[in-house]
Formats: sequence, C-alpha cells, structure tokens
Amino acid sequence: MKLLTKSTFYYLILSILAMVAGGALLYLSIKKVIYTQTDYNLIIEKTILVNQIELNDSIPDLEASFGNQIDVKLFNYPIREFQSIKDTDIYDSKTDSFTPFRYIFSSGSTPQKRGYIITIFKVTDEKNELLQAIGLYMFFLFFSLFIISILINYLIARRLWKPFYDSVNSAERFDIQSDKPLDLPDTDIKEFNQLNDVFYYMTTKMRYDYLNLKEFSENAAHEIQTPLAVIRSKADLLMQQKSLNKDSINLIKSINEATTKLFKLNQGLLLISKIENQIFHEKKKVSLTQIIKKSLENYKEIMELKKITVEFEAKDEAVIEMNDVLAEVLISNLLSNAVRFNIDKGFIKCRIDNKILIISNSGLPLSVNPEDLFKRFYKGTDNPQSVGLGLSIVKKITDGYGMTITYTNNNTNHEIKLQYRNRKN
Amino acid sequence: MKLLIVEDDRSLSRSINDYLKMEGHICEVALTYKDALEKESLNKYDCIILDIGLPDGNGLDLIREMKVNKLSGGILILSAKSNLDDKLTGLKIGADDYLTKPFHFAELSARINSICRRNNFLGLNEISFNEIRVDTEANQVYVNDRLLVLTKKEYDLLLFFMANRNRIITKESIVEHLWGDNVILTDSFDFVYTHVKNLRKKIITAQGRNYIKCIYGFGYKFIES
Repeated sequence: MKLLTKSTFYYLILSILAMVAGGALLYLSIKKVIYTQTDYNLIIEKTILVNQIELNDSIPDLEASFGNQIDVKLFNYPIREFQSIKDTDIYDSKTDSFTPFRYIFSSGSTPQKRGYIITIFKVTDEKNELLQAIGLYMFFLFFSLFIISILINYLIARRLWKPFYDSVNSAERFDIQSDKPLDLPDTDIKEFNQLNDVFYYMTTKMRYDYLNLKEFSENAAHEIQTPLAVIRSKADLLMQQKSLNKDSINLIKSINEATTKLFKLNQGLLLISKIENQIFHEKKKVSLTQIIKKSLENYKEIMELKKITVEFEAKDEAVIEMNDVLAEVLISNLLSNAVRFNIDKGFIKCRIDNKILIISNSGLPLSVNPEDLFKRFYKGTDNPQSVGLGLSIVKKITDGYGMTITYTNNNTNHEIKLQYRNRKN
Repeated sequence: MKLLIVEDDRSLSRSINDYLKMEGHICEVALTYKDALEKESLNKYDCIILDIGLPDGNGLDLIREMKVNKLSGGILILSAKSNLDDKLTGLKIGADDYLTKPFHFAELSARINSICRRNNFLGLNEISFNEIRVDTEANQVYVNDRLLVLTKKEYDLLLFFMANRNRIITKESIVEHLWGDNVILTDSFDFVYTHVKNLRKKIITAQGRNYIKCIYGFGYKFIES
C-alpha cells in the first residue's frame, strides 16, 4: 500500500470515528436541551394552571392550544401531591398513526383542601423533526468538512512526499556502471535531505567499491596470468630440448597439465566475478537456436568420434534479450558437458522453442544430487581435467537473467531444462 | 622475420625471445613503453608482439602512436586481460590479432606467421615445405602439385604444424588452436590423434612423405625425417 493511501486511509478511519462520536454527542445534547425546554414549559403551564385553580377555586377556562392537550380534574377532597413527566405515544384514529407526546402528570391540593389532577400533553413530533433536521445539517456539514479535509490532506501529503518519491525513483534507476551521479531533488525538508545524503553516500560508496573490485579482479588476472605464462613458456622451451629422458618428459607433462588447470580455474573464476560485477551488462537480441547450431557444429567431430547421435529440434527461433558473450558461454558450457560426460554410442537430444530449452543426454549415473553440481568446485566425477566451475558459471548467468535451470538425472539419462523469459512477455 | 617483443616481464620476454629465435626470427626485446617507442621509431619490424599492461604506459597507446607514424608492421596484442573491451579496442585501432596469456608457443608462432603472411604485400600467399604447398588465399593444399582435399580442421592442423616446424607441439595446444581455449574435453586428445592420423594418411596417399612424428608424452613434431 502506498504511504499516501495508507495515511489517507488512517485519516479516514479516525475521522469517521471522531465524527460519529461527535455527531452522537451533539445529537444527544441537543435532544437533552430540547427535552429540558419541553419539560420546563410543561412545569410552567402546570404552575399557571395550579395558580388559576387556587385563585378561582374552579377549573379554569381551558383554551385549546395547538399541539397541547390539557386535562384538569378537581375533587372535593385533598389529594397527595405527586408529579411525573414522561413520554407516551397516543393513537390518532384520523391519521391511523401514533404521535409521540411528552406529558406531565401532576396532582396536589389547593389551600381550600380540594384536590386536583392536571395532565398536560405536548406534541414532541415537531421537536423530533427539528432534531432530525439539525442532525441532517450537522451530518452534511461534517461530511463536507470531512471530504475537504481528506482532499487537502491528500494534496498536502502528495506535495510533501514528492521529493521522497523523486529520490526513490532516482535511486531505482541507479546504474553502477554509469559514472553519472544520482539525480536527487533539492528539498527544504530536513529528513528528506538526510535521506538524499544517505542515498548519495551509499551510491558513491557502492560505485567506489565496485570500481575497486573491478580493478582488483582485472589486476588479479594480470598478476596471475603472467607468471602462468612464464611457467608455460619455460615448460615449452624445456620440452623442445633434445635428449630428454622419460622421467623429465613426465615431469614437464605434469607441469603443463597443472598450468593448464590453473589457467582454466583462473579464467573461470574471473568469468564468474565479471558476471557478478555485471561487466557483461550490454544486451542484444540473440538467437539461442543459432548459437546451439554453431556450438553443435563445433563439437561435430568429437561427437562423431564418440558415435554420439544428435537430435536437434527447434520449433521456433528462440530469440531472447541477453548479452551475446554470456549466451555463447551458457550454451557452450551446457553442450560441452553433454558431450564430455557422454558415453560411447550415446545420444544428445536438444529441444528448443521460444520458452524452454531442454538438453538431454546419456551418461553415467550420478552419485551426487544433480542440483549440487551448480555449486562452485562441486564435481560429480573424478575427472582430472574438470575444475568444477562450468555449471556454476551457467547458474550465475541464468540467475542474472531471471531464468530457471534444473538438472535431473534418471539413471543414465541426464536432462537440463532451461526456462527463459521470452521476448514477448 | 624481424620482430619486436614488448613485454615488461623479463622472464617471459626472454622465453619468447628464445623460442622465436629458435624459429629463425630476429628478435628484439623492449621492457618498457618508452623503450618500445624508441626501438620502433628506429627500426622497421615485420611484427610487434605487444603486451598491453606496461609499467609506464598502455600498449593500446603504442598502437595509436604507431598508426600515426604510419608504421606498417603487424601487431599482435599479448594480454593477461581477457577483457573483451581491450580486445575490441585493440583490433579496432589497428592491431592484427589478440592472444591471451598464458599461451602456447606453438600458438604464438602460428599467429605471428599468419599476421606476417597477411601483411605481406608481395602477394606471397603460399607456404611450401618440400612437396607440400599451401595456398593460404584459396585455403587449398597441393601435394606434388596435386590438390589435396582436407577438412577445415585438417587444413588448420596442417598450417599449425607448418608454422611450427621442428618444434614439439603438445596435443593440448592443438586442441586450443582448433577449438579455442573455452573447450576442455577429455576425449579431445583422441580426436587430435584421429585427425593427425587422417591428415598423415591423406598426405601419404598423395605420395607425400610422412613429416608428422609422434613424440612420447607430449604430442607431435613436424619434421623432415
């Protein structure tokens, strides 16, 4: 939920609660005022009547006043003094409905020892109508106030938070490759300035670290490859010497093998660190189908030698957006594995469409969990030439592009499934 | 051929020097950028073997300098950085080829030969070795003036052998030469064996002699027996 929505939402809930409570309170107090007023009037009228009774010692001439009903009874004996004010509904046969009344029931005795009972009814209907009208107006007033304040709140908040969203958007677009500084908006809000400072500091630091790391890996490559080149060159020269005995030949051979392995290892690790550092961030539209065709062509002779049968089925031209170098590394690593760990007279089946690539091949049963082979330096065979980086490079590449790769092994059947996001979606 | 080796690592530059001298080239070594600039302005070289990372300058600048001075020799970049950018930039500003360290001498030798052949304006697109003649323009091989039909890989293999006459060539370097260094294949040595066997058979069938000698433990040698 967006911050603005959330704050508006809370504001809404709280103000509804406040308004309901406030409205109810107001309604009740107005009602109380009206009732008090009515009761007061009833008592006054009663007092006037009592005064008249006491003065004239007879039932006064009652004028019919609208909405009032007065009933006075006079007795020749005294009556105990009593008074109560209550609500009641009286049935009106003309309109076939009940009308609410407030009435006072009062009894007492005059100084002449004559008892009286006075009942005065007052219609409260119109009072209720008044109350309703007031309530309605109050509601409209509250409601419009409510709408206006939400609107104002929303607009102000939107304006206030704008620098924040600008900063976040800018940070989102941050590209570690580019030396352009983050485009952070100027604001007079202290907190946002603080945030911008943090953003700025972090990205600068990230970029600095990134450049450092990049420089380090490049230097490491240089520093390791040159001594390697020296070793290999010396071994090469040594090899050319005449009159080498069998032992020396084996020694040189071992040196050569170790050098090559170290070289491959270094190359693989550098490739992984380059992928991690997003050196290969440039994207192009590449056709996996074409790369597979080229790669299969490259291994044709070895496959013929091992009598491996190849089936290649391409439904659609699988064109995806990725780095062309990485695409080639990806495919060639997968296919070279399929060739390398194959058996004589085995098979390779390659199926590709615009969503998935499936490479299945024959081979020896795996003794390890196939998914573990995606880890660095994890080897399924004791092949001395393998450095155990091929599939971890593949994993690095596929992770970078949000592809999913799975490796399943069923006895002698190995299958790699690569699901890539298609260009269309 | 006259070559200039620009490489700051003394040990490596000496090795390269030794090997290329054995091949019959005349070599000079420059250890620094300044040294290289000086040597290259005084002499004319057929090919410069250039390390990009020099202590006092960038090899790429040296190429630019050479191109400004209109020096016609070939340039082979030697770099520890398998950095694609460097490679592309190098080739764009006028280098002929790019070799990543560590390399096999056989490969270096083959690359130098190919650069010099391409830069040779006299139109000598032929390599001859006794009865074998290779037309590098048309990619065709003649034995006793009769056309020999070879596969692409056999042809590359023959050229590789001829560029490294009388030198031991490891199976490893053959694999790398034919496939590039991204391929590590256990069975590729058998493949090399099969290819060498086929190539040898084809040459012998065409009444050529057998020049490819098997060397125990290492690989092969192309030699006049």
